[in-house]
Amino acid sequence: MPDIVAPVSHVTPLGLIRRERKLPGPGTVVARLNEKVLASDVIAEGELAPSHVFLDLVRGLGVPEKDVARYLLHQAGDRLEAGELIAGPAGVGRRTVRAPAVGRIVTFQRGRLLYEVRGKPIGLRAGFPGMIIGTDGTRSVTLETTGALVQGIWGNGRQEFAMLRTVGGAGERIRSEQLDINLRGALLTGGILDQASTLQQMTQLTVRGLVVGSATSDLVAQLMRMQFPVVLTEGFGEIPMNNAAYALLTTNAGREAAIDGRMGDNFSQQRPELIIPLPAGRKTDLPEEVVTLTPGTRVRVVRPPHAGAVGSIRELPAKAVDYPSGLLARSALVELEGIGTRSVPLANLDVLL
Amino acid sequence: MLAIDVGSVHTRASLFDVVEGRYRLVATGRAATTAGTPLLDISEGVRQAIEQVQSVTGRPLVDGSENLILPASSSGAGVDLFIATASAGPKVRAVLVGMMPGVSMQSLRRLADTSYVEVVGEILLTDRRREEERIDVIRSARPDLVLIAGGTDRGAGQSVLRIAEAIGLALAMNPEEEQVRVVFAGNRQLGQAVTEVFSPSVPVLHAPNIRPSLEVEDLSPARQRVSEAILELRSARIIGLEELRQWSGGHMQLTADGFGRVLRYLGHIYDPRRGVLGVDVGASHVMLGASFGGSLHMTVRADLGLGSSLPGLLRHADLEDVQRWLPFEMPLSQVRDYIYNKSLRPGTVPAEKDELHLEFALARELMRAALALSRPSWPRAVNRSGFLPPVERILASGGVLSRTPRPGYAALALLDALQPTGVVTMVLDPYNLAPSLGAAMSTLPMASVHVLESGSFVSLGTVISPVGRAKSGRPILHLRLERDNGEVTEGVVRYGQLAVVPMGPALHGRLMLRPERGFDVGFGGPGKAGTLRVFGSSLGLIVDARGRPLVLPRDAERRRDVNHKWLWDIGAVE
Repeated sequence: MPDIVAPVSHVTPLGLIRRERKLPGPGTVVARLNEKVLASDVIAEGELAPSHVFLDLVRGLGVPEKDVARYLLHQAGDRLEAGELIAGPAGVGRRTVRAPAVGRIVTFQRGRLLYEVRGKPIGLRAGFPGMIIGTDGTRSVTLETTGALVQGIWGNGRQEFAMLRTVGGAGERIRSEQLDINLRGALLTGGILDQASTLQQMTQLTVRGLVVGSATSDLVAQLMRMQFPVVLTEGFGEIPMNNAAYALLTTNAGREAAIDGRMGDNFSQQRPELIIPLPAGRKTDLPEEVVTLTPGTRVRVVRPPHAGAVGSIRELPAKAVDYPSGLLARSALVELEGIGTRSVPLANLDVLL
Repeated sequence: MLAIDVGSVHTRASLFDVVEGRYRLVATGRAATTAGTPLLDISEGVRQAIEQVQSVTGRPLVDGSENLILPASSSGAGVDLFIATASAGPKVRAVLVGMMPGVSMQSLRRLADTSYVEVVGEILLTDRRREEERIDVIRSARPDLVLIAGGTDRGAGQSVLRIAEAIGLALAMNPEEEQVRVVFAGNRQLGQAVTEVFSPSVPVLHAPNIRPSLEVEDLSPARQRVSEAILELRSARIIGLEELRQWSGGHMQLTADGFGRVLRYLGHIYDPRRGVLGVDVGASHVMLGASFGGSLHMTVRADLGLGSSLPGLLRHADLEDVQRWLPFEMPLSQVRDYIYNKSLRPGTVPAEKDELHLEFALARELMRAALALSRPSWPRAVNRSGFLPPVERILASGGVLSRTPRPGYAALALLDALQPTGVVTMVLDPYNLAPSLGAAMSTLPMASVHVLESGSFVSLGTVISPVGRAKSGRPILHLRLERDNGEVTEGVVRYGQLAVVPMGPALHGRLMLRPERGFDVGFGGPGKAGTLRVFGSSLGLIVDARGRPLVLPRDAERRRDVNHKWLWDIGAVE
């Protein structure tokens, strides 16, 4: 049987974590190589949605198109302040053309100048405390830290850094009554979210993040509107958080953690996750991203029955297994914690590292 | 001939060889596609799929350096022809640029619907945006592909060039690593000028005008250019695609193009007055093609699919629409949870019976949505009634249908979703061969023809669907089936019935149909009788007298019972 490469989810107590942060477009990287940064530090500055405007220099200066270049004081790429002189003075009237706002000159052709008006400034934050180990100088920065890592499967696109607190068990529903003033500003972790009122209560408490095993899918729109990041480790419905992730998160309750709810597509490295920076007493390695299934590999079941159950592979039979659905599927015999040995289609497993 | 199809979830390898003078499918292999993270390299999935074929046949196909052995050696190792098709890859974001809303823009939208693109913006000459606003549209949409059309041939061209210039300026601001392609399918006199506008930063692919005149639309050549652009863009992001392209001698095709070619071919060989319909329910796309007299009408919906695109279905159907096809009770919340979970993990399979039923219920709604979105592009002559026009054959493929544990599941899903009329043969492509055979048609047409006629495609059965209205239980059709082995079956079909007349795959026969007054089975009008030659299949002869349109009981419990009964009638459950 050929090697079977399975998807990997990291639930790592301690490892080397390396992440790239990227501006939406070119800007300026302000952090320096080998600099230690805090989660809230701005490491690069850029702008959102700059707008463009054509400046008609022929009309503005009142000169023929062929003569416009003579009066230009700047060239493409130059950054200008609002009101700064771009071209002129020309003619008896000493006519000029000035920058309409802070921005830069994109190009000049046929007597017209394309000017980019600076968009809303944005600061790209580190997201977690670490060291800058690489940058392209204009757009992307690579950070590194050591710590615990829990990867999820869905997130609402937001990021935050806050103190981790546990609310209830891995398979318990989070109830509004559990949310008291002591949890204000915390990053909460728990089992299942199934009530819109619980989310409202979290908003009132200015909670700064939420990691749960699952949430019911009727809450998707509301979760997307939340001002704090939300990460699901298992998916939608009422699936308990897998024991490995829950144990790791509860062990680290009281520590500060970075939650990143950004979703990538299948072709990007971006995944919703939680990073808990921890000092490493020894040399740590980057976790493996490509794992071949073998007996002993720790896996998680990602579909019913036993969705969310964790165990280790006992055997990889060569013969396909017949399931109650009638499907024949290549499978693994998995020793599931608290359940026993079960056949699970290989397609329904992911590796927990 | 070795064919590889790299799908979004599975990579398939199929080996064809000449057996007794005809090309036959010899072996297939299937592995998980490795185009996505963490590998972002299709090579591993391709290697595993080929390895399976090698282990089944004992025939070496790659050498020690993992290079394809091409041509075949005298010892029998390798192959003489390699065919590659692919649908895996990130969505290609496209901006459409047209001149007139009802003319070139309409054609561009139809063009975009025929391939794997997601339209993220539109720019029109008449949209009253200033030039700089058009630049802003392009900058914020960040397209991978810009499709430009407009201007009739020998017509005015200045306005087309003015818009192209603004787009050229916007694209020139892109960082170097962001690759963009432009496909220009407008006034052909402007080709050179358009290339100069985008040169040197953005390559332009030229196609003949999709609207050479106001009355004429010709999408085919532009479709080919769009496919080339998509393959180029994806090859730049996914390792291994370029190597496959080289193995195939530069003739790699998109899966949808191969699928479409097969439909076009079938449309040619069957009765030109009737069409051929093809549907593929994939994980990230649903393809639906209709070929009438060899003219192909293809729709590729990137917002539908039984995987990552599944939540897109909720823009076209309600949860109740999905739930109504289930033979058991399942809360709407569970249906919705399933939709979102499947989109997060598209490669997973249903182990439980309830989940399998739910996947087929979702497949029905995906096909219904694709059909509804596709029909406006069909010729008016075949689109007059609200029902599906009579077609000669329905070719079905895609994970959920081809993996069916019993053919009855797939057959009933197709009947419920497409609701064919008259007499039609439904064929399943269990090994997903159609795209590869379509891609091979220009190089080795006989191989495609032989395999299409072979047993590698599973006939689900000939279906007779009388169209008309009657009270439930009223006799509407008399049939007499004379099998070539001498066995005869005669009977009456009642309105509301779904009946299967056993007729094994090896059997042929003569079928006489005599519909009651007001019922049409495609013999020239209501009440007209006729005789036709039929072939056996895994299910037999299916008579779907449930009415068109198919109406399900309003009462939930009765509806569930009816769904279960139909599954039982067609042999999907015992």
